[in-house]
Amino acid sequence: MGIRAKILFGFLILATMLFLAGAWSIYELRTVGTSVQRLLDDNYKSIHAARVMIEALEREDSAVLLLLAGNWKEGREIIASADPSFQQGFEIAQNNVTISGEKACVDEIGETYSAYKDLWAKPIVGTKRERDLNWYFKELHQSFLEAKSAVERLMALNDQAMYQTAMNLKNRAHRAIMPGIVAILAALVFTLVFTYLVNYYLVSPVIRITQGVQSFLQTKEPFHVKVETSDEFQRLATSLQELVTQCKKLEAV
Amino acid sequence: MRPHIIFRYTGLILLFNAAFLLISALISACYSDSAFLPLLYSATIAALFGIFPLIYVPPTTDITNKEGFIIVVSSWLVACLVGGLPYILWGGEFTLSNAWFESVSGFTTTGSTILTDVEALPLGLLFWRSATHWIGGIGIIIFVLSVLPSLGKASMILSRTEMSPLALENFHYRTKKTLQILVIVYVGLTLAETIGLFICGMNWFDAVTHAFATIATGGFSTKNTSIAHYQSHAIEIVVMVFMLLSGLHFGLLFAAFQRRVSGLWKSSVVRYYFIALACGVALITLSVHGAPFFTWTESLRYSTFQLISLGTSTGFATIDTTLWPPFAQLVLIFFTLQCACAGSTSGGIKVDRIIIFWKGLLRQITKTRHPHAMIIPKIDGVAIDGEVLEASFLYITVYLGTIFISCLILTALGIDILSAFSGSAAAMGNVGPGFGIVGSMSNFSQIPDAGKWVLTLTMLLGRLEIFGLILFVTAGSWK
Repeated sequence: MGIRAKILFGFLILATMLFLAGAWSIYELRTVGTSVQRLLDDNYKSIHAARVMIEALEREDSAVLLLLAGNWKEGREIIASADPSFQQGFEIAQNNVTISGEKACVDEIGETYSAYKDLWAKPIVGTKRERDLNWYFKELHQSFLEAKSAVERLMALNDQAMYQTAMNLKNRAHRAIMPGIVAILAALVFTLVFTYLVNYYLVSPVIRITQGVQSFLQTKEPFHVKVETSDEFQRLATSLQELVTQCKKLEAV
Repeated sequence: MRPHIIFRYTGLILLFNAAFLLISALISACYSDSAFLPLLYSATIAALFGIFPLIYVPPTTDITNKEGFIIVVSSWLVACLVGGLPYILWGGEFTLSNAWFESVSGFTTTGSTILTDVEALPLGLLFWRSATHWIGGIGIIIFVLSVLPSLGKASMILSRTEMSPLALENFHYRTKKTLQILVIVYVGLTLAETIGLFICGMNWFDAVTHAFATIATGGFSTKNTSIAHYQSHAIEIVVMVFMLLSGLHFGLLFAAFQRRVSGLWKSSVVRYYFIALACGVALITLSVHGAPFFTWTESLRYSTFQLISLGTSTGFATIDTTLWPPFAQLVLIFFTLQCACAGSTSGGIKVDRIIIFWKGLLRQITKTRHPHAMIIPKIDGVAIDGEVLEASFLYITVYLGTIFISCLILTALGIDILSAFSGSAAAMGNVGPGFGIVGSMSNFSQIPDAGKWVLTLTMLLGRLEIFGLILFVTAGSWK
């Protein structure tokens, strides 16, 4: 291999190491970006919807207590605002099924909420249920707790998925940084090796040939330069030695 | 000393590692796991560093002994360095210290791990982990030299430097033939065990990785609970048989396969190896019967597996030996120090040196009784050279001294004495598990970072039979 090719090869290796590390880092950073987006879209949205549903459920529970106390107007007003709020949260959760097991959770919320709603949708004020705390604790509150637990399960599932995604993000971030660090260190070591080899195989022969020529000029004695490689330097050394021999012959003539 | 020659030979080793990294990357790609890019990038770096000196430095087979030593030691160090790259690039539990520890433990066939959850690792990385065992098993240099066309004098110097001087005793062939025998036996045993494990119910991936770890007497498993995971008598028997075979001198094993298996028994080293193991099994079985095992069958089953595993420096586990009585633990520690025969993939002091030690001791006792007697200790009718006797005594002394120093540093770092001593002995003998916090069902994650570096140095000292690394460090003053 010629000198030009050897030098070019050295720089190519350096460039390849840095290019690959850069490309990989960019790929990982892009993936980090996508993961962050997914974290917000998939998990955070569902967690927010679950919070809305829990708040709505608690407001409905308070409203039911007001109805039981005979406070029809205030109770109905709260229910009228809490139920659409719950439905809104439920719709978000229903349209955002992204992890395994989430669909079953959402279906369970739908079922338990329907059962709960069935209980308070019927008139309470002015009926035998008014002030019937026994009915409240035995049926209504139990149903409320079931619906709330189902929503909490959805929240826990998404919390867990969010933790997992965050852990993956941490690993991705690590993988985005590490190739750069490894490439820099590898490039440093490679530069040292490259410099040594360039010095030994490219610079030293030049020095030896120059010293040989100078020695010929001073002593008029033919010289021999040892060149280990079979590249341009080998040919240069051979040519110069031939030139010196011819000069000696001409001088003798 | 010519650094460019060292670069060229180390480059060959790097290319060899790059090939295995690439295979691991392909496996990773097949299973679409997260280790593909770390493995591919590591393979690229290793290949680029390996090719470069080959282009610049013209081939030469004329190397000096000093260069031979430096090539061998630097090849091990560079391989361990490159071996740690995929770990550190992948992340997870791998910090710089952990990646270095796992890599050195892999190449030196120690088999100690810092991983608390091995099964969380992607398959590509698990394969690379086992591959480091297999590459390091018969020695990185030996592997490369046997694959490459003849390197003449260089081949002889490098193989002589890489192999234990005791191991060479039983080879009466030319270097190339010796290397070929080693690789034939090594690959043959690996193939046979892979098929055996597959027949016994392991999947191909587990069969290959466990065969790599067994034949190299390494001990890395793909499961958190090692061989105990499979709860299979058949698998345990296959692993035990191949652990035993891997602890024998490969030259003797080759000769036995060629002629008669009974010929193997003629070697006093082999006889001692089997008799010592049998005695060990008997002692431990007696000790563990009653507590923790209530039946003789169970006592024998677990004692045999654990003793063969530690006595061949493999380190697989089927039970937590930290719960065994102190007597059984001490017997296991003795075998952790002794290990198997020279010329095998096993580490430790080696059976051969123990026999030489006893012969030397007996000679000394007789000499004390009869000061003018001419006593020549012999093994299988062959006289033991005085130099070999002296070297063996010195080796055992330095070996135990190194364990003591390593233990001293670990205890200074706050580790209890049992864990520190057994951990150091296991690292020095390239065995793997110790007792206490580094037991057979535990790992080295609780060891502080400084302790991990000390243990990796101990592993390298053990693998390079102490003097290799010392000569490397003192290369500057070597004339």
